[in-house]
Amino acid sequence: MALLTPFSKVPELNTATVLLVENEEELQSKLANALVQYKKDFNVNVRLARKLPLPVENKETRPRIDLIVFVVNLLSERSLQSVESSLAHLHSDCFLGKVCFLVTDARCGSHTQERLVSVRKLAASHQSPVLCAEHRTVDGVNAAAVRLLNILKVSAGMSPIATTALYLSSLTRCSVTSDLEED
Amino acid sequence: MTPAPSKQREMDQEAQSSQSSEAAAKAVLLEECEEQFGLLQKLQNEIILTDTEANDDQSNEAVNRLIAVTSELEQWQEMEPKLLTTSPEVLLAVGKEELQRLNNQLKMVLSCSQAKLDAQKKILKREQTWQAEKKEALNAVCEKITRLQLENEKSEHSVLQDMKRKINNLKDYHSSLMEMLSDMLAEHFPLPDPQGNGTKKKRAAAYDAEMNLISLSEIIERLTNKTLETPHDPYVITDDTFWPPYTEMLLRNGIATRHPEDCNKIRLENFFGI
Repeated sequence: MALLTPFSKVPELNTATVLLVENEEELQSKLANALVQYKKDFNVNVRLARKLPLPVENKETRPRIDLIVFVVNLLSERSLQSVESSLAHLHSDCFLGKVCFLVTDARCGSHTQERLVSVRKLAASHQSPVLCAEHRTVDGVNAAAVRLLNILKVSAGMSPIATTALYLSSLTRCSVTSDLEED
Repeated sequence: MTPAPSKQREMDQEAQSSQSSEAAAKAVLLEECEEQFGLLQKLQNEIILTDTEANDDQSNEAVNRLIAVTSELEQWQEMEPKLLTTSPEVLLAVGKEELQRLNNQLKMVLSCSQAKLDAQKKILKREQTWQAEKKEALNAVCEKITRLQLENEKSEHSVLQDMKRKINNLKDYHSSLMEMLSDMLAEHFPLPDPQGNGTKKKRAAAYDAEMNLISLSEIIERLTNKTLETPHDPYVITDDTFWPPYTEMLLRNGIATRHPEDCNKIRLENFFGI
């Protein structure tokens, strides 16, 4: 079974590659545009996919992937399921800082809350961060892009020496806490 | 796994800083870059080798993480800080850039932590007022509890005592009222003086002969006793012992009423309607 491994290729100069995995393909293209257009010092390669495993044909030409972002739309059940099945195709070394979860529509309705909890549990079990994004406005997409760029920078190794992807993921990993009662 | 990333990062950083150096220093940097890149390739080959040898055993992620973190830690402990290059222009440019970036970031951190601090202070204040309210409520409830307990503790004996006390109070009040009533009646409504009207024309003697006029207090007493003892027949017969002006006065002031059929009977009027 071909797993996506983190370090099997040499990285390119001053370039970071991010892979956006989304079942619905709603946010992918918008986010990709925002990522590429944002003013930054390094080049960003954005690759899009619906799910893992990635097609074998591109394997040679594909650059090393620095960050894998799983976009989960909380309004549909299939989104989460496809992400869960895709996770099986990742090498377990990827979870040391190269995986990030992005959820959208976290504020609409009650089913989304349950799914959000399950996404957070999933992320907590893999010690990866969860970002919440608002994908319907331009500002929301830009904000999500900026946050992703920050994480990407670190996982591509472009941050000052002491910040490694592993360290960042330990800092930002999702923790599932019990709900506090409000008085 | 982890040695390669650190080298890669260093190399990337160097690659980045090479953009901002001058031509002469550029050459030096490029040389260093080439060197690092060579190292990178070597390490990468090693990685690929180990990857193909030990196929992914899907071991526990936590264990993986632990191994990665400990080996990273060892790396950091071994690593000695070294300058990129001894060329002063490069160092100056890089240093300036880094410091400015650091300055901006620290400003952001400062404002962020200030905002957080303010928010926390607000929360603290709110919680304190909440706590004060709850404490007050608690005190009030405790007081009420002690009061109720005290009341419950009153035994039958004490209830009896209370009752006796109240009854005595009422009796005293009743007797004082009666005294006052009798005093007042005696003062303002005396028995007609038999000698007072002594004129031959009025034939007061005829009056006297039938004496035994009873006083107003006596009349009222008879009326009240009759009402209280025989409520079904509260009528008192007005015979000659009742001095007519007094009976007239009682009747006119609404204290007594005649029997509807028999004009010789009177009874006490109902008081409780007033």
